[in-house]
Amino acid sequence: MALLEVNNIHKSFGGNNVLKGVSLKVEKGDVISVLGPSGSGKTTLLRCINFLEKADGGELVFEDKKYDLSRMSRASIAEIRMHTGFVFQNYNLFANKTAIQNVTLGLTSARRVAKDKAAKKAMGVLKKVGMGDYADYYPSQLSGGQQQRVAIARALATDPKIIYFDEPTSALDPQLTAEVLEVMRNLAREGMTMIVVTHEISFAREVSTKVMFMADGVVVEEGPAAEFFENPQMERTKEFLRLTGK
Amino acid sequence: MFNEKTMELLVSSFPKILEFGLKVTLPLAATAFVLSTILGVLVAMVQYAKTPILSQFCRFYIWIIRGTPLLVQLMVAFYGLPLLGIHSNPFVMAVIVFTINEGAYSAETMRAAMEAVPAGQLEAGYCVGMNYMQIMWHIILPQAFRTAFPSLFNALISMVKDTSLASSITVVEMFTRTKQIAGQSYNYFPLYIEVAFIYLIFCTVLTFLQKKGEEFLGSYGIRK
Repeated sequence: MALLEVNNIHKSFGGNNVLKGVSLKVEKGDVISVLGPSGSGKTTLLRCINFLEKADGGELVFEDKKYDLSRMSRASIAEIRMHTGFVFQNYNLFANKTAIQNVTLGLTSARRVAKDKAAKKAMGVLKKVGMGDYADYYPSQLSGGQQQRVAIARALATDPKIIYFDEPTSALDPQLTAEVLEVMRNLAREGMTMIVVTHEISFAREVSTKVMFMADGVVVEEGPAAEFFENPQMERTKEFLRLTGK
Repeated sequence: MFNEKTMELLVSSFPKILEFGLKVTLPLAATAFVLSTILGVLVAMVQYAKTPILSQFCRFYIWIIRGTPLLVQLMVAFYGLPLLGIHSNPFVMAVIVFTINEGAYSAETMRAAMEAVPAGQLEAGYCVGMNYMQIMWHIILPQAFRTAFPSLFNALISMVKDTSLASSITVVEMFTRTKQIAGQSYNYFPLYIEVAFIYLIFCTVLTFLQKKGEEFLGSYGIRK
């Protein structure tokens, strides 16, 4: 049984149709890379699945429960978010909180976990992303790569069933990108279920189990990573892969 | 003009004037400031959340209050409230008017400060499972308050001086007390200089407190 299923999701901004019926199936342990040119709707897809944007239509199945994406109740949104993590392109760390406070807040405030227990958990995930020595630093004192790793720790701390990554390395230089990708690679190895919107073709090729290629609000092609890169079927996909140099 | 008699008057009147500064002017300003900040935060939150009808009501409140003089508001309250059957002592009435007046300004200060917090932090809060009020309390308001603090303190300093307007609704505060003493001696000018000096001392202390307050609130690692 799939962990997450999205069926026929639609979204438009004004008259601009950004998502024109996209579907997606995620099994436990999947790492799905979503590729595509800018404006293809990748980010909007991710934001709709986590209700940061309200979809105009479509169905979401999460852990065998069905939801109508255009009519989500506040309670179901809150319930689903308790089991998902989200990593943003520009980190979005809480500027008034230290690294460790950024991580504990989702536990102490949203989940009523005791402070000492939350701190222990937070220290564990910070160490996991290589940020154990920076627990008491404020975001403004950290590099972009360090901030993104804290953001990943923040998402990990709540033991999510799935983590969504929205272009997690797009704001980083190559060296910082490498350190963030390394953390994600480890997560994938440990079996974390992830959907990654990315422009990192080599990451998608090495790490993901499935690849989905989007353009103009639809899925052009999808399949197992090896197949997708070795033997792309669609003209559009071939062109994209040629332009990105792979 | 500053003969011996005047000097004596200045010395003997100083504690009398200061007494009303400490007993009336500062408590009036401090109470109204605290209440107006609370009111301002609430109004700012309603507007930040774009709550349908309440939000328009808040705009209306801000429009009325910012569009009319404080002195007129004091008068309207002083003569109007008794007509509605509300009788209260002038000090309480002054606290209410100053609170409502300053609340309109601090609401705008706070709203701007809240909107200055990147919206991505609100989204990140939702994504870790926090609800709106939790995000407000832990993320948005602390940062907004830090940003708004100098402006809010500005307002406090203004208010300490504006309390002299309360004399118009029979509140005997520092300035009224000065007028009374001056009237007894027919020696106005030196006493007004004296009271100006006391206001200046109050505001100097407040400026110092603002600096301390900003240090206390910290800057989340920026420019450390």
